[in-house]
Amino acid sequence: MRKKILRSVLSTGLACSVAFSLVACGGAATDTDSQSVSDPDEREKVSIALGRQTTANPKFPEGDNYEDNAYIRMAEEELNIDITDAFEAESGDDYNRQVSLALSAGEIPDMMKVASKDEVKELYENDLIMDLTKYYDEYASDYVKELYDSFEGRALENVTFDGMMMAIPATASDPGTSMCWIRQDWVDGLGLEVDGDGDRCLTVDEVREIAKAFMTANPENAENPVGMAFDISLTSQGSDGTNSINAIAYSVGAYPRHWYTDESGQLIYGSTTEQMKEALSIVRGLFEEGIVDEQLGTRTWDDITSLLTNGQTGVVFGSWHIADWLLNNVYTLNNNAVFTPYAVVNSEGKVNCTHSNSTGEFVVVSKKCKHPELAIMILNLFYDDMVNSDELLEKYPEVNDYLNTGVDGTARPFNIEVKSNTYLLDEYSKLKAALNGTGTKEEIPTVEEKSNYDAITAYNNGTGDVTGWCKIHSRTKGVDLLSYLTDKGLYNWVTPIYPETTNTMETNWANLQTLEEESFIKIVTGAVDIDEGFDTFVKDWKAQGGDTIASEITEQVTNN
Amino acid sequence: MIDNKSLGSRVRLSVIYLLVIILGLLCLMPLINIVAISFSGSAAVTANRVGLVPVDFTLMAYERILEDGQFWRSFAISVARVLIALIINLLLVIPMAYAMTRTKDEFRFRDIYMNLLIFAMLFNGGMIPTYIVVKNLHLLNTIWALILPGAVPIFSVILMMNFFRGLPAALEEAAYIDGASPLQVLLKVVVPCSKPSIATIALFSIVGSWNDFFGGLIYIQKVEKYPIMTYIQSLSINLQELVNGAANSSTLQNVSELSNRNLNAAKIVVAVMPLLMIYPFLQRYLIGGMVMGAVKE
Repeated sequence: MRKKILRSVLSTGLACSVAFSLVACGGAATDTDSQSVSDPDEREKVSIALGRQTTANPKFPEGDNYEDNAYIRMAEEELNIDITDAFEAESGDDYNRQVSLALSAGEIPDMMKVASKDEVKELYENDLIMDLTKYYDEYASDYVKELYDSFEGRALENVTFDGMMMAIPATASDPGTSMCWIRQDWVDGLGLEVDGDGDRCLTVDEVREIAKAFMTANPENAENPVGMAFDISLTSQGSDGTNSINAIAYSVGAYPRHWYTDESGQLIYGSTTEQMKEALSIVRGLFEEGIVDEQLGTRTWDDITSLLTNGQTGVVFGSWHIADWLLNNVYTLNNNAVFTPYAVVNSEGKVNCTHSNSTGEFVVVSKKCKHPELAIMILNLFYDDMVNSDELLEKYPEVNDYLNTGVDGTARPFNIEVKSNTYLLDEYSKLKAALNGTGTKEEIPTVEEKSNYDAITAYNNGTGDVTGWCKIHSRTKGVDLLSYLTDKGLYNWVTPIYPETTNTMETNWANLQTLEEESFIKIVTGAVDIDEGFDTFVKDWKAQGGDTIASEITEQVTNN
Repeated sequence: MIDNKSLGSRVRLSVIYLLVIILGLLCLMPLINIVAISFSGSAAVTANRVGLVPVDFTLMAYERILEDGQFWRSFAISVARVLIALIINLLLVIPMAYAMTRTKDEFRFRDIYMNLLIFAMLFNGGMIPTYIVVKNLHLLNTIWALILPGAVPIFSVILMMNFFRGLPAALEEAAYIDGASPLQVLLKVVVPCSKPSIATIALFSIVGSWNDFFGGLIYIQKVEKYPIMTYIQSLSINLQELVNGAANSSTLQNVSELSNRNLNAAKIVVAVMPLLMIYPFLQRYLIGGMVMGAVKE
């Protein structure tokens, strides 16, 4: 699409704008051809223009902003550069629009973040971005290379085009299973028995019984108690899907919204399988029993949050981190609330889960950038030195303050995360050790986890602070469950295929998604017969482009 | 028969009134809801318990707005934008509309200009070409990027033209006989007679530039230079999209702190205030001005 925009711009006689743009990239860095000296102290100060993602709540101290804050000042000082923002916009549509505008004006900033691999590919095909292979090899620190290598090559593979590394990928480690969070204080109050065998896993039937018991007992005397609630899109692509039926679907071996190959090597779209039909029939059963209420087809996340805070429901599915930003609302309203997360298992007592795509977003470097090695040096500074070097934080106490007060990560030059595939569990093991006395706070590697330690100890000392409550739930319950599942070998991993957007996907995918969501809601709410409804959906889905897309993806996979 | 008829018309009238009242309420209730939310405790808001009356009345949200530097910066930018845009609009629209109402003898290229105007009203370059023009004029990130692309609202020009045409020709003739120059005629005779329609186009200009958020999203690339409506737009967060994107848990936490809806509601209320205060004063001109322009002699 963008390629087309560019072409039409050129053809409408506005080519002059492109000529103009030659001047702008790099700003002051006009005469540095001869001085590709990489040691920051030996060359003149260079200007770097960035495309920056922002967030609505960056929490800057008064006076700081995106272009001038502690992180930027540190990078400017350490690398002898001058960072300016070519554009800033909020992540999502607003940012993507700015990227498109920059592209259509024929000018991209020296470095910018892009949200998808498709964009990297387009930029590559339009010859607008720099091959980073040699800079990565030469400049990336061993630690940074280790981080990427922890994905067994998948991370860098995703940014390699014709053997060239065209972008710096953000890592996306496995978020784990979608947990079933249950109100523990209700369970205790009603004298119910959950998880009698203490293996921290429940079957779908057990979850159903608890939801039913909560509904009948209605511990907080709410109007309209609801057993459990799902949002209108039902399934989610992330394995840890919040407010979704993912946990139920995975437990019967259905992987909605995922592409993967079966034993015979046949490519499968998870939402069209027999297992998916089974998953939908389970949810339909819940709906018929009244455990899932009539409003299923209109539920938003805000509604579900209010069901929880009002005490109408005590069972919710979600990621390990929902305690930090969703369940916190429950605690604010009701200080007695306590949740316990459980994994939902398949018939063999294992937890089915899908691997993540290992990379999410990307930073690209303009072909016109005079100092591409700086991208790698910024990478080293923020994802190696800042994590591992205490001296750096001592030299820049204001950066340390940022970390402690939770100034948002968008303040950094690159709004990406580069962490090892197992960082979540690794960091947690240190936190756990410090909490139960076998380790110390100093051994906890990251500032974030250290502040979690402080929040948890403060809460345990009786402050009752909401942050402490959140961290206890997200870390010592949520992440703890993930690490338990890993340690006990309870996971049954599936490695899906994450295809690039194919031609037919570009034109038909949005419609197919709508078809899927609408069909599933109809099936679950009993508006159509389950067998007939599901078969019609599969038939329509295939006819409306699904089959073509499948063959395009097969081709894509065999070509790579 | 007569009774029947009057009964029928009375029923008809009450049905119409009922419909109008329902429509009015439909427009009013979301506003009242926002106001109620802004005065409610955040817990009650999260629990969806606020309807038309505040629950757990508190001024917390408004106190927090007072401390929000970016809100007031954006507010000031919007005020400046409205004032400058208003002056520029009036300066350009009034003389233009006046010239366009001259006879063809007085203004030989009148029809060509008129066609140009109509053409520009119906067709425009679209978002990207306009962006490139603004960019190459080095207007990005300045208040002028928000003002100059809309400096001559053609709809307002046509409205003024229609109004000027309705003025009695004798007025101007009398002024000319007294020896006034065309400029004097415009400033001393025509403009003072046109207050209602000038108020109308002024109102269009004010409302338009105060409420516009999209211009800010396109042309302003520094968050701290956002006008107020763009800033408020950036506060409406879709948590679900964020979670499904690659946002990390600390970003989610920061965002969920902010997605406390009563604070955002309070910001909306404060941002709408200036227009609510101006409207009653200009509204009588608005209705009068529209109609007056429409009737020609």
